[in-house]
Amino acid sequence: MENIKNILNKFDMEYVEDYKPTWVKAKLKNKEDILNVVKALKKEGVKTCSTISPTDFIDENKIEVNYFLEDLFNKRNVWLKVDIPRELENCEIDSITPLMPSADWHELEAYSTFGVKFKGHPNLRYFLISRDYYGKFPFRKDFDWKEHEKNLMQNIAEITEEYFDEYEEYEENVGHDGSRTVLNWGPTHPASGPIRLKVYTNGENVEKIDPDIGYVWRALEHLAERKDFIGTIVAVERICFMDNPNPMICYSQAVEEIAGKEITEFAKYMRVILGETGRIASHLISLGGFFGTMGLQTFSMWCLDIREYFLDVLEDYSGARIATACIEPGGVRYPLNDYKAWFESINKAIKKFEDTKDDITDIFMKNPLMNTRAKGNGVFTLDDVAKYYLAGPIARASGAKIDVRIDEPYAAYDKLEMDYVTCENGDARDRLYIIFKELQQAMDLIKQAMAKIEEGISEGEMDPKKDHLIKMPKRMPAGEAVARVEWARGEMLMHLVTQEKATSPYRLKLKAPSVNHTMVLDKLLKGKTLSDIPLLYGSMHICQGDLDR
Amino acid sequence: MFFDIIEKVVRVTKALKEPRIATKDVTHEKMHHSPIFRGKHEIRYDICTGCEACAKICPVDAIVMEPLPIKRPKALPEVNLGVCIFCGLCEDVCPTKPQKAIKLSGGTFEMITDGKDEAIKEYWVKPEVPEEWIQKKKKEEEEKARKKAEMLAKKKAETEAKKKAEEAKAKEDKPANVENKSEAAEGDTK
Repeated sequence: MENIKNILNKFDMEYVEDYKPTWVKAKLKNKEDILNVVKALKKEGVKTCSTISPTDFIDENKIEVNYFLEDLFNKRNVWLKVDIPRELENCEIDSITPLMPSADWHELEAYSTFGVKFKGHPNLRYFLISRDYYGKFPFRKDFDWKEHEKNLMQNIAEITEEYFDEYEEYEENVGHDGSRTVLNWGPTHPASGPIRLKVYTNGENVEKIDPDIGYVWRALEHLAERKDFIGTIVAVERICFMDNPNPMICYSQAVEEIAGKEITEFAKYMRVILGETGRIASHLISLGGFFGTMGLQTFSMWCLDIREYFLDVLEDYSGARIATACIEPGGVRYPLNDYKAWFESINKAIKKFEDTKDDITDIFMKNPLMNTRAKGNGVFTLDDVAKYYLAGPIARASGAKIDVRIDEPYAAYDKLEMDYVTCENGDARDRLYIIFKELQQAMDLIKQAMAKIEEGISEGEMDPKKDHLIKMPKRMPAGEAVARVEWARGEMLMHLVTQEKATSPYRLKLKAPSVNHTMVLDKLLKGKTLSDIPLLYGSMHICQGDLDR
Repeated sequence: MFFDIIEKVVRVTKALKEPRIATKDVTHEKMHHSPIFRGKHEIRYDICTGCEACAKICPVDAIVMEPLPIKRPKALPEVNLGVCIFCGLCEDVCPTKPQKAIKLSGGTFEMITDGKDEAIKEYWVKPEVPEEWIQKKKKEEEEKARKKAEMLAKKKAETEAKKKAEEAKAKEDKPANVENKSEAAEGDTK
């Protein structure tokens, strides 16, 4: 930590201060210094860029760019800020992509939505957002959404036409001789989800992959700004439905930090239970999806069957199975009127999994066909993890000891016994095994949290009918906060900015892991054959909901 | 041989007695039933106060306040089911106690309408307010208003009378005091 501070102090900084145990917050005076700062930090070991989040301060006529840089293995993180002018002509800053490849798509996103030009970016282009927003920079505060939406149908027609033009262009460029062609893998491929991989192939060999994303772009970061602090939970939970409660935990933590409130012990343990239930629900789909993409649907059905029991748990608590909206700033949303019955249904769900566990191990985890195809295929090393910021299970499959639950404990994870779950090889098979291992860890955590709650109730420290929520102020003070959670697919980071006496967020940046996992597909699939695409794509556990937001 | 045949016959007859799964109607039997399932809204016109809290908090603006010809509640919420995301925040903020005027939990999950765009736009939950209830409320309100007016008039009259009396007091000055005393004395004797 001290080393990082010393490095930062060498440059012309407005302030350098500690922020949480694992962060250093600093503000750079001159934007020209950014490359030198990042270079020096990289030498020290901060090799990864988590995300880049511009904030548009229209009253002060400036855009503040926030860099979240992380040293994954030593748990030292830097939050670097720098002001740049707001006018479109001067709104530019040096790109850090040549130094940190993990910043690539995050810079493109900042450019498309805020118009921050990154000088020196290898391929600066409009990206992610719908084509009719190109060049209009929709997340700037002076963009008129209502005016834009008036021409909705015309815009859609134009997008369709452009697609056909692009298609014809490929036909002409590639020609009819030889075996080179451009394949569109998705968005209607059964294994793809709403994403289109433009696969440049020569015969069966993949030469290049160019993911076309943005099919489910909903501008969630902007939607959050239009809602009040409680209503925003329904926007953030829609990042991805597979793991539903965890984004709300992340957002609620950010709001609580700004308001300066501490939630009750009972709510903390409840967040652990709900978060882990969400993780299980997501992992079961990943697990089944891995085989589903290989063409074996039986296991998908098994997993969905088990998942059903965990969704019942969520339904018993919140009244909804998928879009639960069960966590809000100040605790958890509902009281636990009959905690024994709820714990019973959790135990039932866990038992359902335990009963099928042996069969899963025998039939699927030792499956010879899967082993032949996945073993040693698509390997990520520890260097790749740091270079592209692979997060969560993907990183842990390569042996990286990264887990926000342990590195920066939130909710009640610091009071529970848990350890990093890792595999060694980092191939596609390990990315399947790690999911299976984490499922068991999640159930163990749920059991521990349930025991703690029961203990607390019997000792009279917790009241499940009253302790669930503390009162939050309606109007927030000015401030900003960064919250991180270990989401099912990796680290989720939210950067929340509020203004004095605000009733809705001024800016909410959502960083989700699938962006980086899609970014590496080109590296992962280059030189492989077409039949490897579904397998390796499935092994990355990508969800388009959090990829596009 | 003979034993085998008997066993087969027994098995077949047993199987025939089993409930036929394929013909069992499971559409109305829920696999899992949560008593707080957030389903179709129930709006109670008789306890709603028309405070608009639900319309204000709705994150997708699915709730519209439909004005009534009476004063309290002056408007009732109507929910556009094509827009609603069933988050239940409206139920959370509803101030009526102990029952909520707008309620999702325990609601039905059966919501079927035409798949066309217009049909979805026209798919609303509207509280069915009987005409008699409105008339009754109107009458009550009229009565209340009349009573209030009467009270006001009474009060006005009283205050005016008081004023007059005071003025008279001021005019009559001393003799009035004597009169008052004599009155008081009469009251005592009675």
